[in-house]
Amino acid sequence: MHISEGVLSAPVLLGGAVAAAAGVAVGLRRLNHDRIPQTAILSSAFFVASLIHVPVGFTSAHLILNGLLGAILGWAAFPAILVALLLQAVLFQFGGLTVLGVNTVTMALPAVLCAGLFRPLLLSQNTRRAALGGFLCGSLAVFLSGILVALALIGTGEAFQTAAVAIFLANLPITVIEGVVTAAAVVFLGHVKPEILSSALT
Amino acid sequence: MPGLDTPLSRGDSLVHRLDPRARLLGFLVFSLPVALVQSQAPALLGLALAALLLLLSRPAPGLFLRRLAAVNLFTAFLWVFVPLSAPGQALFHLGPLAYTREGAALALLLTLKINAAFLAVTALVASIAPPELGCALQALGLPEKLCHLLLMTHRYLFVIQREYQRLFTAARARGFVPRTSGHTYRTFAWLLGMLLVKSWDRAERVHQAMLCRGFTGRFYCLTDLRCRAADVLFVAASLASAAAMVLAERLA
Amino acid sequence: MSAPLIEVQGLVCGYPGREPVLQGLDLTLLPGQKAGLVGPNGSGKTTLLFAIMGLLTPRAGEIRLFGKPMQGPADFAQARLGLGFLFQHADDQLFSPTVLDDVAFGPLNQGLSRQEARKRAEETLDMLGLRDLAQRTPYRLSGGEQKLVALATILAMRPQALILDEPTTGLDVETKARIVTLLNGLDLAVLAVSHEPDFLGRITTSLFSLRQGRLHESRAAAHAHLHVHAEGDLPHSHDD
Repeated sequence: MHISEGVLSAPVLLGGAVAAAAGVAVGLRRLNHDRIPQTAILSSAFFVASLIHVPVGFTSAHLILNGLLGAILGWAAFPAILVALLLQAVLFQFGGLTVLGVNTVTMALPAVLCAGLFRPLLLSQNTRRAALGGFLCGSLAVFLSGILVALALIGTGEAFQTAAVAIFLANLPITVIEGVVTAAAVVFLGHVKPEILSSALT
Repeated sequence: MPGLDTPLSRGDSLVHRLDPRARLLGFLVFSLPVALVQSQAPALLGLALAALLLLLSRPAPGLFLRRLAAVNLFTAFLWVFVPLSAPGQALFHLGPLAYTREGAALALLLTLKINAAFLAVTALVASIAPPELGCALQALGLPEKLCHLLLMTHRYLFVIQREYQRLFTAARARGFVPRTSGHTYRTFAWLLGMLLVKSWDRAERVHQAMLCRGFTGRFYCLTDLRCRAADVLFVAASLASAAAMVLAERLA
Repeated sequence: MSAPLIEVQGLVCGYPGREPVLQGLDLTLLPGQKAGLVGPNGSGKTTLLFAIMGLLTPRAGEIRLFGKPMQGPADFAQARLGLGFLFQHADDQLFSPTVLDDVAFGPLNQGLSRQEARKRAEETLDMLGLRDLAQRTPYRLSGGEQKLVALATILAMRPQALILDEPTTGLDVETKARIVTLLNGLDLAVLAVSHEPDFLGRITTSLFSLRQGRLHESRAAAHAHLHVHAEGDLPHSHDD
């Protein structure tokens, strides 16, 4: 879930740009050259996944899956998400240049944080613990993204407070669904190809 | 699922003939004032200039209008919520919240800015084919690893999308109808999981094939980028536009 | 005479930007009828099957499944619960963590509860002699095993008709024979597409050919093949 170009204030945009640049720099430094094909192909898979829309009550939502992305790509989540945003601009004309930093941070920072927090649980041989880890990782990552988006809006001005609250509330049901989907995906991967979760790409 | 083709990059307009680096630099220079101005006059100027650029780039109208509608969904959202918390003179009340005139003015400003940015992206960025984009960004100084991540990620999008469509078709053939249910979410999770597994395997094969062809980690860009007078003029014009917007902001 | 399970009239189907590969095709499949369809690559066999399943939209023509005209995705979604479609490549068809989960997927979509679907899956695996594969991961099975599991996933739905797209692709002699025995033991209508006429001859009773975008009834004309291979003096048999 990203914010359009032309909405946020200069300090917020600058803060986002600096934080994103730092995150991307760390991600690129930790990504070995020979891991680029693998990272790119997995990023591509996540990009396609984000185009799937899943029914949610009377409407539908696009899956973000930044928690799972963080679990699999680690710090490379920063450059991968930046690349995804660039591709979204080129393919769908969403987003823009000045807001690129903020949009990268709102998705990548929770991804890396939650992956770091829940990795031990995700890798558990016990299916229940892995599912729990998946649920927490998936739901918390989207929850934190929602908070960061809300903060970016609130930081821009008092006029954006109601909008921030509305986005935060609308995000809550998505949080649960992302948790459920991530949990099932983690259990699936643990059963079918555990090395996807356990090989640290960065 | 939307198509992943880039028909907007295949035009033959004046904009398309500009060097992609010039387009990106012009875009950067133009984006800054558009993002930062706080008054309506410079925003209107920005919108007008972006519209001119868009006309010059001659995008496919159907596609452009669909994307325009999509971008303005967010704008509509802002129209609903921003005036409810912007301080000022109330136009009407919604419960404890006041829908203010100042808020509506802000929503209007945001509409101008968002659409100006969208038109500029459509004209300048969407007109660049992704393979060219990667090389142009690298020529402009972005890290090599990032550019190659971009190129390879785009390279595999079609293949992976087709893979997903095959999996989804298989599910539909056995009666799967997506609903708001645990069974649906679990099925999507498995389809996704299978997509990741197949992608992982594909990545291994691709890596092995690259090693067999002498890959040592370095990538090379084959696109030949040549700067011409038109490109320099364009960047100069973008700087002038940016200056004009800043001036309009100062005067407002 | 009972109502046809599948009725296709005047089907015109193709891919964008190209000549339609099906040009006014008519087809009828009656309950219990076992029909085979031959045709060279690119003749539109898979296109026809996909159109029948509602997985692609024809340019013209009418499709009736179980006597009901198919007028949109909702009609097809309902009809699919009675048809069993076997994809050409089994690994396109399987996506669950265990074989049992994959076989239970169809029954779950049909509205069975978790316990009922599980029971149905176990019964189907038993019937096919695949019970020992229940907890295995479909992704890791051999080609032959995957094909048999894919067959189980559709038989578990207790379909009235089986639609098979090149069922022998990538199979060894043993698995092929097993499939033949299995199919002949089932009391279902079958529409099988293949480029192997002798395989079709063993599982179907009528044969059609797809030429110039339409179906033609095939004249059955058996003939002997003479072939040469090395090691001929070692004891061996041919699978016919």
